[in-house]
Formats: sequence, C-alpha cells, structure tokens
Amino acid sequence: MTRQALQDLVVAFQAGRLTRRQLMQRAAALGISASAVGAVVGRSAHVAAAAQGDTSGLVTVATEQVATWTRNFNPFSPDPRWPTTNGIYEPLFVYNTISGEIVPWLATEWAFSADNLTLTFTTRPNVTWHDGKPFTARDVAYTLNLMKQNTALLGASRTALDVVSKVEATNDTTVAVTFSEVYTVGLYDIGTQNIVPEHIWSTVADPVNEPNATPIGSGPFGPVPVFQDQYYEVHKNPTYWQEGKPAFEGFRFPAFPTNDAANLATLNGEIDWASNFIPDIEATFVARDPENNHYWFPPTGATVHLYLNTMTPPFDNADVRKAVSMAINREQITTIAMYDYTNPSDSTGLSEAYPNWKNAEAADAEWVTNVADQANVLLDGAGLTRSGDVRQLPDGTPMEYQLNVVTGWSDWVQACEIMSRNLADVGITVTVQPYEYATWFDQLQKGNFTMSIGGSESGATPFNFFRGVMSSQTKEPIGTISALNWHRFSVPEADQLLADFAATSDTAQQQQIANQLQLLYEQHAPAVPLFPGPQWGEFSTLRFEGFPSDENPYAILSCYAPESILVMMEIKPKAAQ
Amino acid sequence: MNFILRRLGFYLVAAWASLTLNFFLPRFMPGDPATALFARMQGRIQAEQIQTMREAYGVSDDPLWQQYGAYLVNIFRGDFGVSISYFPTAVFDVVRSGFVWTIVLVGVSLVLSVLIGNILGVMGAWKRNGFVDSVLPPLLMFVGSFPFFFLASVALFFLSFEWGWFPLRHAYTDGLAPAWSWEFIRSVLYHLVLPAATSIVVAIGGWMLGMRNTMISTLAEDYVTMAEAKGLSQRRVMFNYAARNALLPNLTAFGMALGFVISGNLLVEIVFAYPGLGYQLLTAVNNLDYPLMQGLFLMITFAVLAANLVVDLLYVRLDPRVRAG
Repeated sequence: MTRQALQDLVVAFQAGRLTRRQLMQRAAALGISASAVGAVVGRSAHVAAAAQGDTSGLVTVATEQVATWTRNFNPFSPDPRWPTTNGIYEPLFVYNTISGEIVPWLATEWAFSADNLTLTFTTRPNVTWHDGKPFTARDVAYTLNLMKQNTALLGASRTALDVVSKVEATNDTTVAVTFSEVYTVGLYDIGTQNIVPEHIWSTVADPVNEPNATPIGSGPFGPVPVFQDQYYEVHKNPTYWQEGKPAFEGFRFPAFPTNDAANLATLNGEIDWASNFIPDIEATFVARDPENNHYWFPPTGATVHLYLNTMTPPFDNADVRKAVSMAINREQITTIAMYDYTNPSDSTGLSEAYPNWKNAEAADAEWVTNVADQANVLLDGAGLTRSGDVRQLPDGTPMEYQLNVVTGWSDWVQACEIMSRNLADVGITVTVQPYEYATWFDQLQKGNFTMSIGGSESGATPFNFFRGVMSSQTKEPIGTISALNWHRFSVPEADQLLADFAATSDTAQQQQIANQLQLLYEQHAPAVPLFPGPQWGEFSTLRFEGFPSDENPYAILSCYAPESILVMMEIKPKAAQ
Repeated sequence: MNFILRRLGFYLVAAWASLTLNFFLPRFMPGDPATALFARMQGRIQAEQIQTMREAYGVSDDPLWQQYGAYLVNIFRGDFGVSISYFPTAVFDVVRSGFVWTIVLVGVSLVLSVLIGNILGVMGAWKRNGFVDSVLPPLLMFVGSFPFFFLASVALFFLSFEWGWFPLRHAYTDGLAPAWSWEFIRSVLYHLVLPAATSIVVAIGGWMLGMRNTMISTLAEDYVTMAEAKGLSQRRVMFNYAARNALLPNLTAFGMALGFVISGNLLVEIVFAYPGLGYQLLTAVNNLDYPLMQGLFLMITFAVLAANLVVDLLYVRLDPRVRAG
C-alpha cells in the first residue's frame, strides 16, 4: 500500500510534476523516511532510464571478469571473446545436456560405417557465411585438417584428432572422417567442433596468433560494430539460415573487473543474462525484483570429489575409502558450503547431466550416506585401530593427513573444513591445507598428495568421466603428470568396459556398458564423490524473455555452456504489456 | 656536472639489475600460463587440452639462461612479445591502452593532492592554531586512515548506485566513440570525478601534515626571522623563504610517488572498474603472463628511476648546497 503510493509519488516526481521538496513532504505525510524515498528515487531512476532509454534491442551479458577487452575472435585460441564459439561460429551439432539429445546444426545427419571406423556427416545445404559465400562440407574437412596439422589450435575435436587418420569431403554435402582405431565417442568431439570458412582461413598466415578482428562465421551473430577497451557489441546476422532468428538485435558486453562489479550491475537491472556466482542469491538478487530477477543453477557440472591417493596405504583399500565417504556429512556440505545450490552425490559419481545414463541399481550404495558407526566398523576391520582419539596404521603411524584445497575458493575450503571435522569423529586427523591454484594443481597431477579436493571430467556421455577416474590409460606413476586420474586408480574390468564403450556406436549397448561402469564405481569407490557442481546462470525479464529456467528447462542457462546457442535462439524482446 | 654523471652511472647499473630481476622473479612462481588459464576456465576446457594451450602460448622449455639471453636481445630491439592474458595482443599495445588512463586518473589525482596538500600545509603552519591548522589535519587524517577500498566502495554505493549522481563504472560512456569532441571530454571528466576525488581525499592528509611539520621547523630558522626583520612582505617570506626550504622532503616523496604513478592505482581501478595499468599488472601476475609482467615491471622501474633523476636535477636547482657538494 505505502509502497505503491511511494512509487506513484516517485513517478510524478520523475515526470516533473512534483519538486523534490514536495515529494519529500508528501512522503513524510505517508510515514516514509527521506532515505527510503532517496533510495527508491535513485534506483528506479536508473532502472527506469535503463529500461526505457534502451530501445537498442541489445541483450547485455556479463561474461568474463576483465578490466579491458582484447579484440580476439579467433575460435581456435584459448580465450576468445564471447560468443565466438557457438555464436559467431557454429558446430556440426549441439549437445543438449538437459534433454540428453543431439540437436542437428550445420550437419543434418551423421552415421558410422559398419566397422565404426568411418564417420560420415551430411552437411546442411543453403547455409552461407557472413560474407555471402556458401558453406559446404569442404569447409568442415578444411577445419578438421587444419587442426590436425597444427596442434596448437584449440577446439572440441582436439581430443579425438589423435586417432583420426583422414578427413575428406567427398562432395559439397558429405564429409568422411576416418579413424585409425575404433573410437566412437569421438563423435561428440568432432560434432561439436566449430567450423571455419576455408576461403578465409586458407589465407591466414599464423592461425594461432590471428586475432581475427572481423570474424566471418556462419552463426546467428557476426558484425562487431563497436569494440572499445571496456565495451563491445556483437550484432545479429541478418541473413541467418534459421529464418526469423535470432529474435533480438545482438549483444553488448560492458567490462567488469570483479565479481562484485558485475553483481552491482546485475542488481542495478543493467544485465539481462549472466553466469556469476552470487552468494545467497534469493536474498541478494531475487528479492530486489522478484518479478524480473531469476536464476537457475542446475547441478549438471562436473562432480566434485575428495580424492584419496590410492598409491598410499591404507587408501589402496576400497573399504577404507568407503569408510571415509561414510564419515562425511554431504548434506552439511551442500547446505553450508554450497548454499543449497546443489545436492549430495550418489554412488555413481555422475552429475545430473546424465538422466538417460544413470543406473538406479548403482546409485544408492550405503557408502554415500553419513553412517559414522559403519565407517568405524570398516576402519576397525581394515586393521586401523584406535589409540586414544586417533587411529593408527598397522605399523603404528597415526592417521594424520593434509587435505589440499585451492586458496580463496571459499566453497571448496568450507567443504574441506566440514570434512575435516567429520573425519575427526572417526579418528582420522585431517588438516586443511590451502595452496595457490598452480601448486595445488601440480601436486594433484603429479600425485604428490594423500587427500585433495578436485573436480572431474564431464561430457556428453559418461565415458570421459569414467575414463578419468578408473582407467589405466589415464594413470601415470607418481611424480609424472597425469592429466586425469589424479588418485591413480585402475581396474582391468574398467579398461575392458571403456574399450567396449568406444568400440560400439549403438547407444543402447553403450548404455548397458555405462551401467556396468557405474556398478564398478559403486563397488570400488575409486574416489569419494561429494556433490555435482552447479552451473551458474541468472537472467532478468525486464527487457527480454525466453530464458531457460526450472519451469522451462530446455537447455542449460549458463552462457559458458556450448549449448548456450540454443538459448540464443529462444531469447526475444519482452512482449508489450 | 660531475654529480650528474655519477648519478647517471648509478642509474645504468640499477636499470640492468631491474631488467634481470624482472626476468627471473616471475619464473620463480609455481605453475605456467596454461595452468593459470585452465584455472580461470573452471572446467570449460578438458584437462587433456592443457598441452595444446602451452603450444598456443609458446611456453618455452629452453634452459633459463638461453631464455634470458633472448629476453635481453629482444628488450634492446624494443620487442616485448605477445601478452598471454590479453592473447594475442602485443605487450606494447596492451600497455599503451592502459597507460593513457593511468596518466589521466593517477596523474591528475597525484598532482592535485600534492598541490592542495602542500598549500594547506603552508597555510596551516603560517597561522598556527587557526582554522586550517586545527580542523583540517585531524579531519583529513581521520578520512585518510579508512581503508581505501572501504571508502571507495561506500562512495560508489551511495553516490553512484543509490543516488545515481555519478556513473557506476568505466572511463567514458559505453559506446561513445573516442574523439576530441566536447561530448567525449565531458564524459571522461564526469567519469573521472568520483575515482579522482576519493584518491585525493585519502592522500591529501599525508601531504598536508608533512608540509606543515617541516614548515614549522623552517619558520623557527634564523633566516626567516631575518627576512621578517628586513620587512619583506608576508607572502614573500611565506613562499620564497620558508616554503621553498620546507618543500625539499616533500619533493623527494613526490618524486617517488610520480614514479609509482605508472603502476596505476589497483584499488581505484577495481572499485570503479576504471581501465589502467594496475589491473593489468594484477591480471598479468594472476595469469603468469611473463611477457606482460616483464613489460610492466620494466616500465615501472624505469619510471621510478626517471622520476628520481628528475628530482635529483630539481634538487640541484632548489638547493644550492647540492651543487657545491
């Protein structure tokens, strides 16, 4: 009631019908303090100005945290401006994590040969590059061959190219990728590779250091009319092959040097789409404008694990790893350290990104529940007897360990503090040891740790995840860098299952193998899964609508996800009310 | 002349030492640029692609002494390489873009706070226990002793966010084309007010107090009494006799501060999202961007050395005793 009255007064003031003094007097008569009026006048003034004055049709996005932008639209470079990949350039297909489906994009169809050694893509006809030249299968072959020749070029296909022997366009709409060994999961790596035009890139002398200031792609966005130190715009491609899309004029990107600066602008109603971590988001963001401010943090990111070095006794024993897992109170971690933004992991280790793959049989093992009594039984059984408060190894060394974590990653540090307290209850003394990222990562990769928190691999199928936690192929000796499998665990059954998985292109068969991999994970507990990482995403419906949310979960909201191109297709200016 | 030559020799040795430190210090930090970027991407790049990033950035595995040789040669050719955190822009271009704004913001606020602070100090000492002397020092010290980050955040929150008097961020209006037009200059000045004002308010107290204290002891000198006894005007005694001598310690401090202008003002840049060298330096260190770190450190040390040289020369002019020695 008073709130509405105050709004009316402020509107009258802004329209010039009231002076500031009259405004204050009338507000005082309603029992509203001057500072409250000041706050409303100030805030609604710029929100109103931002909303009304903005007829540009540009969606404002807060992406990376930088003070000044570098004009780099090279899709092969490690850190190009958004949306160079999956925006200005496009992949052959888009993988939708939420539905678990592949959405055809520059390719309309694809198939493996009977021996699974040749993958053939049929490309979409009538697609043109931004400069009007036609897109053909030859551009696809050129892109993949370019990446194969130049190993410093980054892209989704990089991991599969090692086992690709030949890429050839047989005509303008067909491209055949020949593998040197059967590796069917390479489909996702190659299919999500962004394609560049041959007629442009064949003239580029040094594709690694090319800033590609005026990008020519095939995607929904292209022209870069403004590029300044702290601000740039990317406008839509007016001749995009998907008719009528995108439904808005383009994007603009003000530079924000810190999370705080980005959050301030978000709270100020200036940002339409963001992917920041905002603590306590209900109170700080949604409550400011419940009608327009929304967020969606689906727990579809990589699963965060507690890694126990399996080369160090007693953690070579699955029972001990399970006991550690049982001692941990995951609810406490997700509630306190993660603000309830995610949920405890189940015993498959898979995040929520694999609804079609989860094996219910493997999901609810006892060792992911918090049963300290059972943990004690297992530890006693492993010969780790208590002496006083602390358990001992059979040789008499007390169980005292360091738990490595990254300095300043407050959610992880807090999770580690909680685990340290939980483990003290079962007689294991754990000291949380924060390290700079580089040091932490170096120790993790070289296996120079006993306990460490860390992320894991993700991807369209669970293949990457299990290859990372259980395969002997990714396992290196202590002291040698192991890009994955930091805890150095492997079992022959897993190797066999992963090989079988990569040897078949039949999804039903792959699902069956994945079921067994999950059972294997449940049986051995190679690492201790804690929680799936949430993928941050916020949006405001002040000016635009059509964003995915809990109610309309058609794709992941985070603008860092490759599938954000699906979101770009759905955003449209808010209908006039 | 001899004095100046000796100083120049000293500066040459100092320059070489700083060049060498610039090379070795960043490389003693753990990790490499590819891991640092991988940390920033947080799972958006597969762990097995780190090697590709190393190749893209040209991270070298040559022995350090070889890299050091190449580094010295390149520096003399004026080639600082390609920045990694601002990949693939050349270090020279990255630094140039931040340099302008740093000079505008830090230069303006330093010159203004030194000028105002010193004048207030002279006035305070001249009229002991007057208004300027009794009210301003405690007030300015009070304001100056707040952590700058806090003061700037409060100013930004109320003046920009809640009341909307000043812009929230950036050096000029987004999308406005830089040009020598009134519209653009006005936008730059408008965006400059809040960051510059907060830096000045915080710095001014120190300058004022320093000047006031030396001024008081100078005023007790015989030559000042002598000048007054000769019946010279108050102004002349105040500025030409007392202030000129009292200025010397503050001049040294100003020289140091002038050199550090180049390193930017990190906190102002962070709070007001103002572009400049301070944030570039932070980005460079965080991302283990060796080429950019080398370029920036080199500029900072050279600027400090150059500013000191200028101060040395000014001393020769201001203080006849140096010339004699």
